[in-house]
Formats: sequence, C-alpha cells, structure tokens
Amino acid sequence: MFEAFAQQFALFGSAAAQAFGFPQVFVTMIATVAGIVVGAVPGLTATMALALLINLTYSMQLATAVAFLLGVYVGAVMGGCYSAIMINIPGTPSAAATALDGFILAKQGHGGQAIGVGIIASFVGTLISILLLIFLTPFLYKIALKFGQWEYFLISVFGIMICGNLSTQSTPLKGWIVGFLGFFTAMIGLDAVYAFPRFTYGSYDLMGGISLIPALIGVFGISEILSVLQEDVPYSIESQLGKVLPDKSMVKDVLSTAVRSGFIGSGIGAVPGAGEDIAAWVSYDVGKRRSKHGHLFGKGSYEGLASAETANNACIGGAMIPLLTLAVPGSPPAAMFLAAIWLHGIKPGPMLALESPDFLYLTAVTLLIATASMLVFGLLLTKPMVKVLKINRKILMPIIVPLTVIGAYAGNVNIFDIHVMFIFGILGYILRKLNYPMAPLVLGIILGPTADISFRQALMQGQGSIIPLLGRPVGIVLMVAIIWIFISGVKNSRLQKNTSNNQPI
Amino acid sequence: MSQIKKTTASDLIMGVLLLAFGIYLIVESLSMKVFNSFLDAPGFFPFILGIIFCLFGIVMLVGSIRGGSVAATKATFRKDNLIALFLNPESKRVVILSFFMVVYIYGLIGRIHFAIATFLYLVVTFWYLKSTTWLKNVIISVLSALLISAIFQYVFKIPLP
Repeated sequence: MFEAFAQQFALFGSAAAQAFGFPQVFVTMIATVAGIVVGAVPGLTATMALALLINLTYSMQLATAVAFLLGVYVGAVMGGCYSAIMINIPGTPSAAATALDGFILAKQGHGGQAIGVGIIASFVGTLISILLLIFLTPFLYKIALKFGQWEYFLISVFGIMICGNLSTQSTPLKGWIVGFLGFFTAMIGLDAVYAFPRFTYGSYDLMGGISLIPALIGVFGISEILSVLQEDVPYSIESQLGKVLPDKSMVKDVLSTAVRSGFIGSGIGAVPGAGEDIAAWVSYDVGKRRSKHGHLFGKGSYEGLASAETANNACIGGAMIPLLTLAVPGSPPAAMFLAAIWLHGIKPGPMLALESPDFLYLTAVTLLIATASMLVFGLLLTKPMVKVLKINRKILMPIIVPLTVIGAYAGNVNIFDIHVMFIFGILGYILRKLNYPMAPLVLGIILGPTADISFRQALMQGQGSIIPLLGRPVGIVLMVAIIWIFISGVKNSRLQKNTSNNQPI
Repeated sequence: MSQIKKTTASDLIMGVLLLAFGIYLIVESLSMKVFNSFLDAPGFFPFILGIIFCLFGIVMLVGSIRGGSVAATKATFRKDNLIALFLNPESKRVVILSFFMVVYIYGLIGRIHFAIATFLYLVVTFWYLKSTTWLKNVIISVLSALLISAIFQYVFKIPLP
C-alpha cells in the first residue's frame, strides 16, 4: 500500500517537474491567454481552435504540446463567458447558459462583477475536475484492464448512443444517425484485419482512409465559418463594465453552488461526447431547482451564472477521465486533444498506466497551471477583452479559412486531405442546419475502428455466438445501458413529437 | 408553420436517403471478399451498419409520413417556395461563400503559390462581404496572406500546400 502510494507520488513529482519546466509553464500561460481570446470571439470555439492548432504541435515535445493544447482548451471554455455576458452571444456554445443571467447583470451595469464571478466559478470547477481526474483515473485503469473485445465494442456503441442522446435538442434519432455515419466514415480505406479496400472505388487516396484531423477541421471549422457568416446581424456591446473583482460575500454566496456544479460538470464531462454545453445546462437546471433563490435564475442571478460557468469548465477534467482510461473522449475538444496526443505516440487506454504512467499526472498538473493562469489572466484581461469583442467577424472568419487549409494539409502533406476537409465542412453545415449534432459524428469516426475490429474478433472468439457476453458483468451492464438509452431515446422522441404536434401552428 | 413543414420535409428526404444508403451498404458489403468466415470478413461491420441505416430510414420515413411530410414536401418543392429559398439572403450568401472556397481549394491551391491564392481568396471574400473599404481590404489581404505563409513555413516549419 505504502509502496504503491510512494510510486504514485514519485510519478506525480516527475510529471510536475516536466509541467513546471521551461518552456512548458510559459507555453501554458501564453496558450491560456490565446484560448481566452479565441473563446471570447463569437464563432470561434474551443473545438475549432484545438482542431486548427493540432498540427502546430508536430514539432513540439510531448510536454510542451500538452501544455499548449490544454492551455487553449481551458482558456477557450472560460473565454466564452465574456461575450455571453457583455453581448448576449455566447463565445462558445458552452457559455449559452451563462448568457441567461450574465447579460441581465451586464445591462444592470454589473458586467464586470458578473465576469469576475464567472472566472472564479470556472476556476473552482476546473479545480474540482482535476482532483477527480487524479483520484478516479487510477481506479478506472484497473477496471478497464479487464475489458475484452465485447466490452470495447459495447463501450464504442454506448459512446455514440449516449452522445447522440444528449447532444441533440431535436430527437435522439438524429444524434444516433450522425454517430453511425461516423462509424461508416471510419470504415473507408483498407480493412485493419485483411487490408481489403472498403468503399475506396479504386482511389489510392481513399485507401489510406479518411484522416481524422481534416474531417474534424471541416466539421468544426468550415461549417462554423459558414454558419457565422451566413448572418448579417451586428451586435451591440454593453459598455458599462463596472468593477471586476466580486465582493467576498458574493463569492461566499456562490461557493456551495460552484462546488456542486463542479461535481455535476465533471460527471457529465466523463460521459462520452457529452461536452461542456450539456454540463452547463444540466447544472443550471439543478442549481435552479436546488437554490433557495431559484425564482431569480434567469433574472440576473449570480448563483445561476456560477452554476453554468462552473460546470462547463469542470467538464474539462471530467472529459479526460474516459479519454485516458478508454480512449473515449468526453467532449468534442477532448477528441481534438486525443487526436493530438496520438500524433505524439501516446496511446490512451488501460495500458497507458503501464506504458506512460506519468501522463495522467502530466495532464493534471498542466491543467492546474492552465487553470491558475486562467484565473489570473482572466481577471486582469477583462477590460481589454471587451475591446476584443468588437473585432469585425467579417474580417476574422475569412482569415480562418487559409488556416483550416494548412491545418488539414500539414498532417500528411496531401492536397486530398484539404478536399476531405472541405467536403466534411459542407456536410457539417448541412447537418447543422437540419439540427443534427456534430459531437456524435466525431465520436463515431474515433470509435469506428475499435467497434469494427472488436465486434468481429469477439464474434470469432465465440464462434459466432453472443453467449460469451453473458459471462462478462461489465459487458452486461453496458448492454443494459445501451438498451435503456435506446428505449428512453425513443420515448423522448415520441414525447417531443406529441408536444410539437400539440403546439399551435 | 413553415419551420415545422421544413423539418418534416427534410425528415422525409433524409428517411429516403438513409434507406437507400443502407441498402447500398448491404449490397456493397455482401460483395466484399470473405476470407475465413463472414463474421470476420471486411464486409461484416458495414453490413450491420447497412441494416442499422435501413432501420433508421424506415423509422424516419414512418414518423415523417405520419406527421404530414408528403404534403409538406410537395409544398417545399413548389416553384414559389424554391424561388424564395434561392433568393433568401442567407442561402445566397452561403452558396457564394462556398463557391469562393471551392475556387480557392480546388482551383488555386496547388496551382499557384499559397500566399497568392490566399490573397486572391481574401480580397474577393472581403469585397463580397463588404467587410471594409477597398484600401483596407487589399492591405489586410496582403498582410494576412504573407503573415500566415511566413509563420507556418518558417516559424512552425510546416510545408505549405
């Protein structure tokens, strides 16, 4: 017991030495500031920023790349609160719930304090999620080590089913369709077992398969650019910022809400593909029901603001838990992080505890530095950030297009990847317009190969029978969970249809 | 009313597309080579996906037909509605911006230097969006094209397309 503890402590020490070394600390701070700016500009999301920046990390050492990406991630998720509060347009989808109370506070002249509360809440949320990441991940490694082919297949299906269920405001069916489309996308190219070409139509480019990063850049970059530029709506900024640092009593009032929301956000973050926006809405809803002042939510409540803002940042650490233990990202930005660390030879999953035992702690300590940077720079930069919100999006968004082109091209130095990126961008735009969520598509592309190989191997091991699954408790739990998600999803779809049919037309 | 109509019409079209796609996947996967047994054949998983897409397609079709999608689809494809859709400023803007991207990605990149292609793309896009004055447009386009090219090529050592 003591030996195991000492071993973990030594690993933590070595990871901390890496994370606090030069240039990692410097990179984390710069990346966090960059993330804050990106998150604050409406239309630029954490996912888009990470997708574009992955290729910049090629030449970096692992610790520096992790510092760079996590800094941007933490900063961007928090940065969304500036525009949500000051212009009522969430900089990132995860800040949508923040706008409900934040903008009203800004109109009352308390925009500065609202941002201050939002930043402190984000700090508390991320901190709680880091603690959970450190203490829960080793246990999950042990459980994941017992996973066989059936469990890997079922966790892949579970991932897109739950993600499809949670990530759509429309019927879950749409989320599932997109998730399975992701599975299909992953089938294109040479089959991993027999190297047989599938859906390649004689094209050598397609034999290599659809590369993950160009597809992600298309779905989250090009489609986002088109979505932002299609509208020609100028926005006005509340110019009265007021003081930024909140009073001690105010912080005290929202602290218990922030702690509760931190746990909610971390928990939702750990659900495959669920993401920051769902965490914020669920936490806001729970906060409203649990608070003594629930009736004030939506009317300029600091508690409401803290509920949403804590949970979306808490999602970050939570999303790292399934990512590190099962290679299943908990949110779309976490999927980008997964793609980036794959490039650096890190293979998340239960074996990570043996192959790169200090990676968990490197992630946790880097997140800690990014969180501290977010608190300090977030508060310091509040006034200049209001000026950033005035950036002309009609200039900014077209400039991102060449960046998406380079981002897609750089991985394999192949023009074909730029074409893939554009096609996925258009596909993503059309699907978005039809209310299909994008998160299950990403998860499907990532989990598709695992689902394919695990399912075939599991069936081969059982000589075509699924009876061996009955002797696997984790497999049975996953199977029951999938069936439950399916039934509840179908029920929700029917309920939604009935409600929309009963609506006055 | 129009939003509900649009949704049910798109559900009907998506249902048909999914069903057709599912059938295509089943046919294509059955024609793939079987090495040992079908359970570990390259076509096995796409075959399962084909069945799933067919089921999704049927569910969508049935749901949308019950919701009155046939009439809604007919209304959507009426001449006046189609004209309204194409004349809609948002649709027009997206089509034109996508066209600029197509020219940039498929026509210019790989044929002329990346910086020149980027400059041309930005100038035309800024002009169409009326982002700024002509002079500022040219200055921002030149600076952006040069800076992006130089930073990626020389600072990050990333090859340009």
